[in-house]
Amino acid sequence: MISSITTNLPVFVVIAPLFVAFILTTFARRIRLVEGFVIFIEVLGLTGAGILAVNVFIKNIPIIYQMGGWSAPWGIELKIGNLSAFFLLVVAFVSVPVSLFAVNNLSDEVGGKERVTRFYVLYLLLGGAMAGMAVTNDLFNVFVLVEVATLSCCGLVSSRNRPQAAEAAFTYLIMATLGSTLVLGGIGFIYIITGHLNMGFAYEELNRIWQNSPHVVWMAFSFMLVGFGVKSALFPLHIWLPDAHSAAPSPASAILSGVAVKGYLICLLKILYRVFGHTLMQEFAVHRILVLAGTVAIIAGSILALTQVELKRRLAFSTVAQVGYIILGMGLVNIKGLTGTLFYLASHAVIKSTLFLAAGAIIAATGKKNINELAGIGRKMPITMAAFTIGSLGLTGIPLFSGFIGKWNLILGSLESGNIIPIAVIIVGSVLCAAYLFPIVRVAYFEPAPEEDWKDPGFTQKIALIMLASAVVILGIIPGPFLELAERAAAELLMLR
Amino acid sequence: MSILLEKLIINYPYSIAVVLFIIGALTVLTRSSLFKKLLGINIMETAVFLIFIAAGNIRGGTEPILSEGNPGTVYINPLPSALMLTGIVVSVSVTAFALALIIRLHRTYGTTDANCIAQMRKEVIDR
Amino acid sequence: MKDFILKRISAIILPFICIYGFYVILHGHISPGGSFAGGIIVGLSFIAFSTVYGTEKGRSKLPEKVLIWIESYGTLWYGIMGMVGIVKGVPFLANKLAGINLGEPGTLSSGGLISLIGIGVGIRVASTMVTLFFTLMEEES
Repeated sequence: MISSITTNLPVFVVIAPLFVAFILTTFARRIRLVEGFVIFIEVLGLTGAGILAVNVFIKNIPIIYQMGGWSAPWGIELKIGNLSAFFLLVVAFVSVPVSLFAVNNLSDEVGGKERVTRFYVLYLLLGGAMAGMAVTNDLFNVFVLVEVATLSCCGLVSSRNRPQAAEAAFTYLIMATLGSTLVLGGIGFIYIITGHLNMGFAYEELNRIWQNSPHVVWMAFSFMLVGFGVKSALFPLHIWLPDAHSAAPSPASAILSGVAVKGYLICLLKILYRVFGHTLMQEFAVHRILVLAGTVAIIAGSILALTQVELKRRLAFSTVAQVGYIILGMGLVNIKGLTGTLFYLASHAVIKSTLFLAAGAIIAATGKKNINELAGIGRKMPITMAAFTIGSLGLTGIPLFSGFIGKWNLILGSLESGNIIPIAVIIVGSVLCAAYLFPIVRVAYFEPAPEEDWKDPGFTQKIALIMLASAVVILGIIPGPFLELAERAAAELLMLR
Repeated sequence: MSILLEKLIINYPYSIAVVLFIIGALTVLTRSSLFKKLLGINIMETAVFLIFIAAGNIRGGTEPILSEGNPGTVYINPLPSALMLTGIVVSVSVTAFALALIIRLHRTYGTTDANCIAQMRKEVIDR
Repeated sequence: MKDFILKRISAIILPFICIYGFYVILHGHISPGGSFAGGIIVGLSFIAFSTVYGTEKGRSKLPEKVLIWIESYGTLWYGIMGMVGIVKGVPFLANKLAGINLGEPGTLSSGGLISLIGIGVGIRVASTMVTLFFTLMEEES
């Protein structure tokens, strides 16, 4: 019994949230039972992800699982290498505190009991889709999971009762469907020239045959880049992000900014490196496009974040800037660069969730949304503001926090590949990040507080904030095995094994 | 030039798919009514389905059902059609969700025109 | 739409449409169609009934509780069918490896798990269509 569960663990991690999500609607009246189920499934998912990651780390060979027993080119294959284990850990680890934060906290933002159950259903669907994106090795499976994730993200954004939520969700739906259509077109072009949908087989066939049809390969590249760029808010295509992430309820903003955007970036990473391969990327100069797009995104996102007055919109524009770092790292085709990309992805997921949850707690307790009204909160809500401060320090890249290790590896990677401009841009980006986050911390701690009754949020919310903030610090001080996992994943992406 | 025209006419499904895609994209970008944007998305998705299904077609092939015939019959590829069934399901779900959102917006703002809604939101923010 | 001719004719035809929908679902592995298309046909028959006879009669035939139950447990049926393989030690959704009897290809009892999963998916799609119709209709009144 135990052995059959552990051999089938790759598929359980994906389908358990999906199937549990559907039975939650039938007992929507008993909210305690629903919340207990959700947290139980999340903790089980974290355990499963941990077992898989330890397995892959120790044995150092990828786990291959064939759905339905059909072997590779005929069936759907799930391949858990170092990259999949890495992202599974990130998704599982961030989902647990965010769902702990959402317990008891949702009724005033979302509505009655049925709407809260609907929120949890969409939340579990998103978690299952993200886990699936980490493990899959089949191109059409990527499309199906991308669609599941898009629809649940739109549902989460529109779950609030305000009119801005419906408008933001509509814009997000139209742009995200545009992105999915382009991704499907890209998958179509790859299928037309290679005839395979499995990533490994498509790679071999593509590298044998691309000389016959270079234009189709070029079209596939551009469709994939623009399609995934729309969905992960690359700079000129980021228009939906500020409205959507500031109109969603705070646990939804945390999981959207922290995990959902990263899932699409991991899919792009897989397709660029496992299907096309780094030689084809350098042949078509795609890596230069990625470096350029990342550079522009960092500078533009940070400058736009400086102009925002509302707290959640400022954090949303900060996500646009940080996605620029990850895209910049994707264009550096060496081990240090890709290690920096992956580690920065993980650390940003944890940090952005902390920041959004702390901001949500502040807005729920005080009712104030703008930055210049937050004077003196540091003394009234100490734990919330401490978590926010740790998140800001981590995002800026101060040593001893997790953002520094990611940025350091990115700088080493760009030195190795010979560009100097990314180094300057990374440093300028960190300075701008400090410029738009530290004034909030200063106003909160060093200004006198008005005589209001603001308290810290409840018990489960405090545990969630403490978990995430301590993860930021622990990743910064002892990155050891996690950084090793990221390095092995980078070597695996570059096919250097 | 005539070779280009000849290739375009031989591969007519792909040319029609490109034209449909451009029509769909222009509808989403330029029309201001929310219903028309939704229809534009549907047309774009139909164009991509056409590319896939046309790729599976082999001229002179028969339908892919095994029957007692000579062993040299050429069957067309059934895989893209099966994949596009999933795509059609996704398209129906997106359409249903977007229609529900349009109804909610209509209840709040009284109009289904994107420019009017943006105008009303700007007035609320300015006040 | 309370016309006399519509009511009489639809009372005769709509049950046959519903049975045709179930036929398409069950014969998904032999002829074109399958779970999704068959489910839409079954849902369409209920939608046509609600359109002709009025929404209140439609809602009384399919109350909301029944629709929610069919939707949730239709998906769970898919999961349980997939677990049949896992209990016997083969991967998820395994058909022949799990020892299910695949009869003669071309007859109704071939295909093993395919038609069983199709039933669950089909009634789920039907209930989704009916739920969507009721949701969009209640906004109008």
